[in-house]
Amino acid sequence: MTTVLFKKELLENWRNKKWIWVPLVFILLAIMDPITNYYLPEILDAVGGIDGAVIELPDFSPADAIMMSVSQYSTLGVLVTVLLSMGAISSERKSGVLDLVLVKPVSYTKFVVTKWLSLLSLIWSSFIIGMLASWYYTVLLYGEIPFTMLLAVIFYYGLWLTFICTISIFYNTLTHSPGLVAFLTIGTTLVISLLTSLFGTRTAWSPANLSTHLQELLITGDVPSALIYSAIVSILLIILILFASIYSFKQVLHNRNE
Amino acid sequence: MGILSITALSKKFNDSYAVKNMDYQFTPHQCIALIGPNGAGKTTTLRMIAGLLKPTSGNIIFEQNKNIDRRTLIGYLPQHPVFYPWMTGSEFLTYSGQLGGLSKSTSRKRCEELLDIVGIIDVKDKRISSYSGGMKQRLGIAQAMVHKPKLLMLDEPVSSLDPIGRREVLTLMEVLKKEMTILFSTHILSDADEISDELILLRNGEIIESGKIKELRQKYQTTKITLQFAERQTFYEEKIATLANVRNTLVEKDSIQVIANDITKARNEILQRAVQEDWPLLTFRLEQASLEEMFMKAVNHS
Repeated sequence: MTTVLFKKELLENWRNKKWIWVPLVFILLAIMDPITNYYLPEILDAVGGIDGAVIELPDFSPADAIMMSVSQYSTLGVLVTVLLSMGAISSERKSGVLDLVLVKPVSYTKFVVTKWLSLLSLIWSSFIIGMLASWYYTVLLYGEIPFTMLLAVIFYYGLWLTFICTISIFYNTLTHSPGLVAFLTIGTTLVISLLTSLFGTRTAWSPANLSTHLQELLITGDVPSALIYSAIVSILLIILILFASIYSFKQVLHNRNE
Repeated sequence: MGILSITALSKKFNDSYAVKNMDYQFTPHQCIALIGPNGAGKTTTLRMIAGLLKPTSGNIIFEQNKNIDRRTLIGYLPQHPVFYPWMTGSEFLTYSGQLGGLSKSTSRKRCEELLDIVGIIDVKDKRISSYSGGMKQRLGIAQAMVHKPKLLMLDEPVSSLDPIGRREVLTLMEVLKKEMTILFSTHILSDADEISDELILLRNGEIIESGKIKELRQKYQTTKITLQFAERQTFYEEKIATLANVRNTLVEKDSIQVIANDITKARNEILQRAVQEDWPLLTFRLEQASLEEMFMKAVNHS
């Protein structure tokens, strides 16, 4: 059953070209900053330069370059993820096609989990491809960085993206308006980031700190214990929210008047 | 032995009941019509039986078995079926069959069969986004039957179709009745009259009358005779009013309505007098209660 549902998701994302444009967007986001920063002096010269002014451009290390990609994902990457996922379940409910699926003996749990997995497969694939592109340009333009570092970035930052996808799936089960899902997901992410920075070291374990700790990892080369804690907390929250999604999906659908 | 029994079924939305305390035993291989005005609770009832909504209270038991997922035995067509527009008709039907528990190859075969039956085999490889309303309705019926359910539930299956489509769907239902139990909702009384064996009349979420059509007809039989005369209508009207079994007469524009105490005796009396006295009788009609009158009567009774 899960395979049947999953194959349908794959086919849908293939037909609406998501398997093409999402990886392209992620590649673009990843390589944009490393490349423009590298060529900034030439770009400034080409537009005529600034007379008399001496511009000190910082020297970027390979770790800085990788972090440029990560910081792009933290803003635009998250936005793309939210826009991609906002209709995952809600739009099917809004159109009514969900009824034709759920009158068949389909498990509600499997349905939600499949939606989640299909979203993750698209986001993770695109993210990995994007980070490989970032790594390629980093090595080319800024110097060597161990591949294991890249894997660590992919794993830990991937958790943050997974966390956002899971929140989005949760809101998808609550409402049938994709716009509201996007709004609530972005709102929740912002609140979590805000609280995390507000409470400083006391919330070092927050999922929103994954990218902060990653920076430390890239600079020192050691895995900071706070990163491990953040990762564990993230995984636990992801599981919790996924269960909550399954529960709310059943409750909301069984009692809707539409 | 019922195929499906519902007991004390209720559904509450916020503070008001959409369906209230409903009981019914469904007999296999019958065509049952769920009739009622808009907002009577027809769709909510069907959606609860289909498993899309959870009853606030009460039970739905399929073939005396509480533990099966009854969705394996039920096919459901919503009032306005919506599909994945990016799929082709045959893709959707195959997918639907697989969700219903068929293997991919079985589902493919069944899909060809059904598309032929419902008459959209020639557009099976076109995207559903290009289908007309009638084609979607047919595809909807096909998806409801794809896993060979024992109970087929159709929510307003003909109300959105043109007269030709309507006729075709009714004919199809007539055929399907032999293989499965059909429960369909409608607010068009003549459709129900035409193909159903049993009726459930709903109002404000409650069953106000139900049973076999024939029995209901008997119960609500009108004791009314309509007469038309070639001449001197009022003259004969006065004569009829004096007959023993006639309770009341009423002159309408060109006919006389006779309300009788005993319809059979009144009929014989009038006919005897008509022969003896050579009345210029044009029309003599015993009014069978139409479903509409029955419905109005049942609504007024409760």
